[in-house]
Amino acid sequence: MTSPADELKHERGELISLFSAGEVSETFQETCTEIVDHYFRRSVQESDTGQRLFRDKNPFALVALGGYGRRDLCIHSDIDVLILFDSKVPSSAKKLAEDFFYPLWNLGLDLGHAIRGIKDCLSLASENLEGLTSLMDARFICGDSPLYLALMERLEKKILPKKGLTLSRWLEEQNEMRLAVFGDASCLLEPNLKEGIGGLRDYHHLLWLGKAFFHLRTPKDLETSGLLSHKEYADLESHLNFIHLVRNHLHRESARKNDRLTFDHQESIAQALAFKDQDSLLAVEQFLGQIHASMASIKSLRHSFVFTHFPGSRKNGTGAPGSESLSAPFFMDQGEIHFPSATAILRDPLLLLDIFVEGAKAGRPLSLESKRLVREFLYLVDEPFRASERAARGFLSALSAPNASEALDQMLETGFLCAFIPEFEPIQDRVQFDNYHLFPVGRHLLQTVRHLKALHQERDILLADIFLDLPDPEPLFVAALFHDIGKTGKDHAAKGAALVRKILKRFGYDRKRMEDVCFLVHRHLLLAETASRRDLNDEKIVVQCAGTVGTMERLKMLYLLSWADGKATGPRAWNDWIANLVLELFFKILHILEKGELATPDASKRMKLSLQQVRSRSGDQLSTVDQEALFDGMPPNYLIETSPRAIVRHIALYKTLRDAGSKGLKSAFCLEAEAAPSSGTYEVTFLARDRAGLFSDVAGIMALNNINILSARIYTWRDGTAVDIFTVTPPLDPLHPEEIWERIKGDLAETFEGRLPLPERLQQKAEPSILFRMKSPGRQPQVHVDNEASDFFTLIEVFADDRIGLLYRITHALFTLGVDIRIAKIATKGDQVADVFYVLDLEGQKVMEQEKVEKIRDVLLKDLSAT
Amino acid sequence: MKKVEAIIKPFKLDDVKESLSVLGVKGLTVTEVKGFGRQRGHREVYRGAEYQVDFVSKIKIEVVLEDELVSDAVRVIQEKAKTGQIGDGKIFILPVDNAIRIRTGETGKDAI
Repeated sequence: MTSPADELKHERGELISLFSAGEVSETFQETCTEIVDHYFRRSVQESDTGQRLFRDKNPFALVALGGYGRRDLCIHSDIDVLILFDSKVPSSAKKLAEDFFYPLWNLGLDLGHAIRGIKDCLSLASENLEGLTSLMDARFICGDSPLYLALMERLEKKILPKKGLTLSRWLEEQNEMRLAVFGDASCLLEPNLKEGIGGLRDYHHLLWLGKAFFHLRTPKDLETSGLLSHKEYADLESHLNFIHLVRNHLHRESARKNDRLTFDHQESIAQALAFKDQDSLLAVEQFLGQIHASMASIKSLRHSFVFTHFPGSRKNGTGAPGSESLSAPFFMDQGEIHFPSATAILRDPLLLLDIFVEGAKAGRPLSLESKRLVREFLYLVDEPFRASERAARGFLSALSAPNASEALDQMLETGFLCAFIPEFEPIQDRVQFDNYHLFPVGRHLLQTVRHLKALHQERDILLADIFLDLPDPEPLFVAALFHDIGKTGKDHAAKGAALVRKILKRFGYDRKRMEDVCFLVHRHLLLAETASRRDLNDEKIVVQCAGTVGTMERLKMLYLLSWADGKATGPRAWNDWIANLVLELFFKILHILEKGELATPDASKRMKLSLQQVRSRSGDQLSTVDQEALFDGMPPNYLIETSPRAIVRHIALYKTLRDAGSKGLKSAFCLEAEAAPSSGTYEVTFLARDRAGLFSDVAGIMALNNINILSARIYTWRDGTAVDIFTVTPPLDPLHPEEIWERIKGDLAETFEGRLPLPERLQQKAEPSILFRMKSPGRQPQVHVDNEASDFFTLIEVFADDRIGLLYRITHALFTLGVDIRIAKIATKGDQVADVFYVLDLEGQKVMEQEKVEKIRDVLLKDLSAT
Repeated sequence: MKKVEAIIKPFKLDDVKESLSVLGVKGLTVTEVKGFGRQRGHREVYRGAEYQVDFVSKIKIEVVLEDELVSDAVRVIQEKAKTGQIGDGKIFILPVDNAIRIRTGETGKDAI
């Protein structure tokens, strides 16, 4: 006959291989417990020492403790056993332990053992709460049952009445400790199945409290004693079964006692549990979703159980004491909100929502009974309910209330949120299998709202300042709650915006606010994505963002949403690093919006429209790829200020220039002049490869040929093409203007090739002559250097009396100062010029050094004052 | 064997990573870092209150290479990470004594 140990080894091995084959899943713990019980029964029978002790009237009992006592043995669970004697432990007990325990150690099982008299057990239990809870789960295996009964009776009569309160308080402390150490498992990526909040330990707490205060014996008594409803107990059982099953697989896979469901095991366990990949949802994501749902349910059951039956053990509620005035018909009892009666709900189903609104306003939770009623009457939340105006108003006022996130938590937990907003259902438990998204989507959304509600506690006071600036923060909260609601497939932001529109239409939501919400949902990734993936020194990128955002109010809401969303996603989604980049982008967009011009929705529409027309008109001068690259490199103000017809013309010139360039003609340029008969002026278009000093050369040649520049717009495309558009006075000889333009072209070519000494020639020309009398300056020229107006350029503004060659003087001075002109707006009004130059230094940076700024101002002023 | 460390602008990471892998670089380490060089932090004013931004967010990439690959790697990093403006970053080259692959115990060239 095989020894008890061999039998145990064999039976246990069989069981585990059956389990691995997927055959015993629900019954594993039960069967495993049976097998171990059987081992002890046989061992007691077959132990000579044991039999001798019984004969000597020194009986003992074998008692299972802890998880083994609860019949919850997973593959690598500890087996805790007590050899119980009446009072004194005889010396031969040592031999007894050897008989029973050594074989188990040899099998590599984790064994916790003790040999004690009843009195020792009890004194230990009254000193040590962990010992007490272990003893509360004690179960008789074999031996002398009166010993066990005596132990349990004294535990119940002597210890528990004294220790009950200490125990319930200790369990609360343990709970806080668990939250700190193991976290809320119901929304963690790598939940701890046992110790995490929502884990098996929560269920143990229920049992212990039930045993200490309500004389429960078995788990089933939770229901038969009326502590839990039939449905609650049935749900609890099925959730526990699932978690135990997962835990067993985890033990099997990691080949040791391991309760943390780490990444590396999740996929294989999902497979073992026969989860299958579905369109857009991986097997492992469904698996994690179910684990989270089970743990969330256990967590909430424990919470309401403790709240209801042990009001003394918890801390005070969040609302101020005495603020117990609720709107009728609800009433407050022990800090919790109650329905007046079940029939009241039947008479007015909207009370199902009103109770959460009350909770959000008063900062008080629903009672366990109220939650039960909500769950039971969820069927009343039907289409007319969802479409009712009172419901929409109530829901929105709950969302705006200070304690909105607690109320939302309870809505989610009771299923009300999904019933009221069915669009929530598909995403509530959705998990993304990566280490970026820490929470299931539903929880993430509530978390986002929570961060916004707690904004005033943030260290970064800018956030609170921005929030206080919002005239109407409601769209922000609505968007926060719904921003990921489209997360059932690709392009979730656009999909979410469409869904949210549907929801808000049902709510009868105000039109303007609805547009704000849809915008926020649709663009909730704009700031974070742009900040981390695009060049923030590229004005065009920022202008595009500004165009998308449109208004300062939206920008502020979007910034706060980005922050809350990132924080609610996880530390990889939001940290100082990314915050830094997003903040930089926020300010740059803010500045563009403050200035207006480039970023109005109208401006971005115009840019788009203009490019469309250019596309349809430009034919096939350039390949599509080249053309789009060129469009991409055109500065925003160029696109806004230039007609599509002119852009098409510039592209043609650009092509000529490029062809010349490819033949090695570095100094190639294009110049076209066109009369504008209505105003009696000419428009001159000039294209060349940009270089420092180019603009001043062109201005100089014009002056040399007696052409007065009335206004100029100069742009630099990103590929380095300079595009200058001048409005000028007509040539002196109106009969043969072409001759002048040809001469100017010739002069330009000579200058670029270095054959024309422009400064000297202009000097000669500036000598007073009869034809062009120099007027003495009528008033003091002014120069402003402005670094605040733009994030991308230094602005130099010049006001002076007009005269021929003035523009050359200014631009030449800038050239010698090492300043590169990127955009210029030259305007002449009467005999006064007001010129604005957008400049960068030769390294492509704004001119920030105070010294250099002073120098620019001094040199220009000196130059302008000289006659 | 050399370690090439580069501080680059965040949005240039993909370009740099791709061209390094085209070059045959098998692995690299990427870190989100903050710091300042000539491109100092700056001050923002919002509604009269000042907010100081001290550091600039950058990406640090680290890659250990055989000597022959170093010049090419440096060249492509410089090419790809360049915008021509301040804040484009820096590249450092450091000698590496040895490398060990933890799983197999291979050393030197085989381990990188």
